[in-house]
Amino acid sequence: MIPRQDIAQIFSTFIQFDFDRFSNWVSDPRLRRSISKCLSEIAQQETSENFWAIYWHKRWQKQPQGIARDHLLAYLQEVCFWSAQKTIRGFTSTQYKIPDGFQIAIAGVDKVLKGFNGDRGFNLKSYASITFSNLIRELLRQRQEIDICSEWSLLRKLSQKRLDESLQNAGLSAEVREKYILAWNCFKNIYVPDRSNPTRRLAKPSPEAWKAIANLYNQEKKGQLSAPGETVKPEITEKWLLICVKAARSYLYPNVTSINQPKPGYDSGEIADSLVGEIEDSLLTEMIVEEEVQERNQQQSQINEILISALGQLKPDEQKLLELYYGQKLKQGDIAQELGTQQYTISRKLSRVRKSLLKSLSLWTKETLHISLTSDVLKGMSAVIEEWLESHYHSNP
Amino acid sequence: MTLLFDPTQLVIELPESLQQQAWSKSQNAATPNSRWQSYLNQLTLDAFIPCATEEQEATVKPWLNSQALANISELINGTAIRLGDARLVLIPSEAEDIEELRLPQEWVDIPEWVADYYLAVQVNIDAGFIRVWGYTTHKQIKNTAIYNPTDRTYTLDDTDLIADLNALWVARELCPEEKTQVAVSPIAAISPTQANNLIQRLGNTEILLPRLAVPFTLWAALLQNSAWRNGLVEKRRGMERVSVLNWLQTEAANLVAEFGWRQVEFQPSTVGARGDTAIAMPHNALAKQLTIAGRPYELKILPIEADTWRFELRSLALGAMIPGGFTLRLLTEDRQGFEGNEDTATTPVEMLYLEVALETGEGLIWEIDPTPEDYQAEVLRF
Repeated sequence: MIPRQDIAQIFSTFIQFDFDRFSNWVSDPRLRRSISKCLSEIAQQETSENFWAIYWHKRWQKQPQGIARDHLLAYLQEVCFWSAQKTIRGFTSTQYKIPDGFQIAIAGVDKVLKGFNGDRGFNLKSYASITFSNLIRELLRQRQEIDICSEWSLLRKLSQKRLDESLQNAGLSAEVREKYILAWNCFKNIYVPDRSNPTRRLAKPSPEAWKAIANLYNQEKKGQLSAPGETVKPEITEKWLLICVKAARSYLYPNVTSINQPKPGYDSGEIADSLVGEIEDSLLTEMIVEEEVQERNQQQSQINEILISALGQLKPDEQKLLELYYGQKLKQGDIAQELGTQQYTISRKLSRVRKSLLKSLSLWTKETLHISLTSDVLKGMSAVIEEWLESHYHSNP
Repeated sequence: MTLLFDPTQLVIELPESLQQQAWSKSQNAATPNSRWQSYLNQLTLDAFIPCATEEQEATVKPWLNSQALANISELINGTAIRLGDARLVLIPSEAEDIEELRLPQEWVDIPEWVADYYLAVQVNIDAGFIRVWGYTTHKQIKNTAIYNPTDRTYTLDDTDLIADLNALWVARELCPEEKTQVAVSPIAAISPTQANNLIQRLGNTEILLPRLAVPFTLWAALLQNSAWRNGLVEKRRGMERVSVLNWLQTEAANLVAEFGWRQVEFQPSTVGARGDTAIAMPHNALAKQLTIAGRPYELKILPIEADTWRFELRSLALGAMIPGGFTLRLLTEDRQGFEGNEDTATTPVEMLYLEVALETGEGLIWEIDPTPEDYQAEVLRF
């Protein structure tokens, strides 16, 4: 991959794939105009790519639907590519290619944007890197599990949200989806595993079970559907559920060619741009004010010190664990093998180490920054730690 | 198989022995679905408690005693624990994707059930693990979750949850004063007649989704009275309660045992006062063994006269008294007090007792302070 050079390019171009390889960067005219305008406004000042990342993240927080998200999407292309490459490579048992991973990860960009601590975060890229890797691993894990499940087991292993998304993805209308989801809920209520019957290998329900499912559906449709519709026969519920299975499977394996479809920064004219003008201007001025930047840098170097000193107080084996996991990017299972223990043990140990870091940072926040701790503040701290560990052990993602 | 998880999520192994134990605890459920639900809830509870105990200093206990929690699992998904003075609700799900937390409304909107934290738990039986993949507070749920009227749940997306359970442990340690709950409206009480009608109707297991079969306020009002809730669960499990008078008949011995009571003989002592020697024969009474603060006690119900009943609490330990501070209390079935419904030991006493005159068909709930370890609220019908 050819890395992008100037700021304007970094915030306005998207990766194009040629089969499973990087092909070139494609520019989005609307994003190009937007970033150029911003750059010209503060032309007298040197700005780093991180400055702009923080700026667009702040704007995204104010307007999640605006252009900021698209700029960030462009910005995160590289880190997404590298995360995909790293994670896919580590995944020996599959034939997945980089575009697979890229697509999975970039689809979860909102998770990155929502999870990143905009006030105290150092570097959106580091946070994105770890979050993208987690997303890819999680989805590959789900695929592994779903692949070894029978249709009927698969149905029990979906969340309602996932099922609804799958059906939506398959092009079904809200009215139809509602019916299928009720049928699915009835199925889950009637067709229950038991201990003698592994939950991954559920056989096809018996005719009696189908009858019971249809009965329950017919009983509940009046209370649970906006348009109750006709009384259904067992064959119909069976047909519907098989459609659900198919939709869920194809949702888990999206078609990779769609990756080069038109990018989100479609050229929709000037109106939307000018509407958001005021907010962006004041925010930009705010951010350029020297003090803000200084204060931010100062705080970050303090956080850095706190965490480095907390790291120094860890036992040698705990430090080694962090090094193996965040530095060498070994999977927990591999670390367990190397240290001759179980994965659960490694996972708990890692978690305990992270807890001690979280506690140090939270105490400092409370005592030095005088910020009263809440669950939300702690959530943000936890994200800072993940991001910090990632960049500390792996400064060149 | 290598498991691939976000390192911030807590993954707990489910050894075969734990699974078997949870399965055997779930066997008296009313339907296959409620058995499976009870099983998942039980597994989650049994796996999570030791882990939470290890992670932080506060004592971790189930919210209610095991029978009471099992009864809730008969009706609703989810289980609850106490962690120091905080309450946590755990919501297991079999979904492999972790896209949403789907939370039954009961845990959020019944004032007595409101918890501080709500944890999303994935259960994978075949792979043998549970994973706590996110949590949130009651306040967050009331502020940001979507309410779904069709299945009466609150849903939150994964991005709205806190993935790192460490944040919870640290919060308990560094900011236990954080306001995690918001006030919920009280649920209007229902009359005993309404409650008994509901129990009759929803006690039929042909109604597979009892929690959706009547409006939420009625359902919640029934559930928040633990005696009615237990009554509904018994009915769904096919345990038919009859009057206490029927329970005293010798042939009812087995039936009585199902409800944790047994028949005992007693000599009516009030007989002499009336000079009526004709009924000076042994009578049947009911007795139930209880454990209070680790010590054995016995509660007895004795028929004194045609419409008068006596409740007696004594210690079963040799020569032991009932310590000061113990209270024996009777309530009407809608949990109202009445005159003379309490006997409190101000100093250690040999027994606590209450005598009440009751009309046929009247129902009573008994209570003891401190609450017996195995206490099940029940409506006794006379």
